Amino acid sequence: MNFVRLWYKKSGLAVYTSHLDMNRCFTRAVRRAGIPLWYTEGFNPHPYLTFLLPLPLGTAGEREPVDIRTLEDISPEEIKARLNAVLPGGVEIVDVTEAKDKANAVESALYEIKAEFNSSEDAAEFALKAESIVKTGVLEAEKRSKKGIKTVNLCEFILDFDARADENTAVLTAVLATGTQNNLAANLLEETLEKAAGVEPEKCSLTRKTIYKADRAVFE
Amino acid sequence: MYPEKLEKFLMKVQKPGRYTGGELNSIVKDKGSVGISYAFCFPDTYEIGMSHLGMKIIYGLVNSREDARCERVFAPDVDMEEIMRENGIELYALESGEPVKDFDIIGFTMQYELSYTNLLNMLDLAGLPVRSADRHALTPIVVAGGTCVCNFEPMADFVDLTLLGDGEEVTMELIDLLKEYKAKGAGKEEFLRAASRIPGVYVPSLYDVSYNGDGTVKAIEPKDGAPEKVVKRNVADLDKMYSPESFVVPFLETVFDRTTVEIFRGCIRGCRFCQAGFINRPLREKSPAEVERQCRAICNATGYDEISLCSLSTSDYRGLEELLTSMLPWANENQINVALPSLRADNFPKELMEQLNTVRRSGLTFAPEAGTQRLRDVINKNITEKEVLSTCAQAFEGGWTAVKLYFMIGLPTETPEDIAGIAALAQAVVEEYYHCDNKPKGKGVNVSISLASFVPKPFTPFQWEAQDRPETLIEKQAFLMENVKSRKITVSRHVPRTSFLEGVFARGDRRLCDVIETAWRNGCKFDSWEEHLKFDTWMQSFEKCGIDPYFYTARKRDFDEILPYDHMDFGVTKEFLKRENKRAHDGLTTPSCREKCSGCGAAKLNGGVCNELRQAMV
Repeated sequence: MNFVRLWYKKSGLAVYTSHLDMNRCFTRAVRRAGIPLWYTEGFNPHPYLTFLLPLPLGTAGEREPVDIRTLEDISPEEIKARLNAVLPGGVEIVDVTEAKDKANAVESALYEIKAEFNSSEDAAEFALKAESIVKTGVLEAEKRSKKGIKTVNLCEFILDFDARADENTAVLTAVLATGTQNNLAANLLEETLEKAAGVEPEKCSLTRKTIYKADRAVFE
Repeated sequence: MYPEKLEKFLMKVQKPGRYTGGELNSIVKDKGSVGISYAFCFPDTYEIGMSHLGMKIIYGLVNSREDARCERVFAPDVDMEEIMRENGIELYALESGEPVKDFDIIGFTMQYELSYTNLLNMLDLAGLPVRSADRHALTPIVVAGGTCVCNFEPMADFVDLTLLGDGEEVTMELIDLLKEYKAKGAGKEEFLRAASRIPGVYVPSLYDVSYNGDGTVKAIEPKDGAPEKVVKRNVADLDKMYSPESFVVPFLETVFDRTTVEIFRGCIRGCRFCQAGFINRPLREKSPAEVERQCRAICNATGYDEISLCSLSTSDYRGLEELLTSMLPWANENQINVALPSLRADNFPKELMEQLNTVRRSGLTFAPEAGTQRLRDVINKNITEKEVLSTCAQAFEGGWTAVKLYFMIGLPTETPEDIAGIAALAQAVVEEYYHCDNKPKGKGVNVSISLASFVPKPFTPFQWEAQDRPETLIEKQAFLMENVKSRKITVSRHVPRTSFLEGVFARGDRRLCDVIETAWRNGCKFDSWEEHLKFDTWMQSFEKCGIDPYFYTARKRDFDEILPYDHMDFGVTKEFLKRENKRAHDGLTTPSCREKCSGCGAAKLNGGVCNELRQAMV
């Protein structure tokens, strides 16, 4: 049995696919690619395929990890080529490695939020407002969890934040707490900032760029 | 691909993946380079429509032509519809994002009467007038096919034409004809007249219907050379017919998310309530080798890990044992689950049951349909209680603990004993479990009764019968509940109001078009979804149009009454259906097509079991 970590990029139309649906999408792709997976041996056997970090609906990902266990020894290049030949548009394997870090090592991630406006003035205004709101250290939002809805201060989860305007687009770059302990989804931050700043962009795209473990070291 | 205007709204709707397109194996053709564009519309949401086999067949078939392209269209859910209407976004097709109104053919598959308002709503969302008479250009031509078109009179004013029977051949002929007429710049009326000459094509506007004083049909008169009877199309050899070897694989989970391969069309049984069993005659089989080839191809192309073998009565497939013997080792090796829906209780071999059990266990379902042998004889459901029990016993020994039983209430000649008999049969199954020596250790049994309400349908021996009123059905449901004594038995009931509307439209006539339009204009849509059904609006619409809905449901018809769909010919003759009706009232069963031909009339359509019998006689 081989433990393999796949790294995929999610973009385009695939962004509208939920976490659960991505799981199904990968299970089928692995079958189409003819990569024999190890099946769990329980009452209802299913292939071993684990997404380390859920990516919320609507958020793109540059390099997202999925762990699989294969029955045969297939080279990383071969796995990558076979999967990319059968994956739907918008989902692409960018790398295949061994699973170096444990899933619970994830602490934060770098996100890019691009909010498009009708004018460069609106974009600049949003960038400015967002920057100053985050600087106050208080940005409250309702967060849903298994225990119910509670109000949290999102700034406690923002580790780094930068906002600038690029023509009609406000580009927010943020390192947010990510993982099972503390987690802030980029879409929640963006929606809350929109409300606080009183703006509504024409379009908005969110991308998780890099996943970090402690001390901003890249998760591998 | 969706229209650009929609992008900023996608994250505001439930399950945006339904509206984006771009799924694996979807076929996107260059708009400019093909002759005829076909928008295949399913009048319900994406999850339901994407499970429909007919769409997969027509999608692959039309796209196999170089001079045509087929795209998929589904009814947007209410949240999406609101956004589209507010922002002036017209209904679009998923592959290109092109507005549906720009397609040459807009084809609806009509499987259920309660989706009629969705057809109107989709035409309206596309920016088209809902009435055929108000659409003057040659294209788009609005066509409908599927089960409901055996009596599409209640929708006659909205569609330009319908396609009767198997759609594969006639769709291709229609595309050929439209291509020719489009090239020569013909008008819509000229095209419709020509289309009515294609066998299996029904153009409602070419028929005048008149009525008697009592509301029954007086005459149906064809004009402009339209045929007196439109004969349904019948694909004689399924092995030679196109069958898809790849499916579009949705990103999101659909109702039936699996490989579906048809093993035969039609049915030999002749259960007297079952419309599908009569309008799809004669039975035609696919060869086991062809079925297996298609299963493997689709699994490879999609990555699905479940296969459903599709037919009206799986265990009547003569090649079942051969197919499973050959296919199961491959399926097991590849962790593929094989599901056999529509299994009859009386003839399923134990060895196969064991083989099926090896990958994953799915539920066990039987459809005795009626609670007593007397009523089962009336409806010609030739299953005995003993057979049900012995098959259940077999299943329990094989490790099953859950059994689902389908029943109907409101059947002709039904008495309280028949309803009590439903509970008694379920109870007998529970007891069978506890008497079973090799039952699974430490587990209880769960028998669930699914209770439907009988709706008399066209082209069945019961097409003349009265349908129970909703309040009667509710009483009967309550009576059954009183008779269920065990907590091992659960009962799920259908809403009699939906069966009532279904009954009105199933045997309705053209005067219902106004009712349907009125109801839709007052907000009726997704009528089959309990949370969307506006029953009061429906009743007000009947009243506004001066129509008594019970005229269509609660009235027993005479044999010599002209039925609104008498100009449709599905092979089975009225004489045969009358004979079957009389036999039902006499409590006499009729043997299956393989046991003895009962001369239903479908033999003239050629193919399948009718030829098997002929060859056997030679």
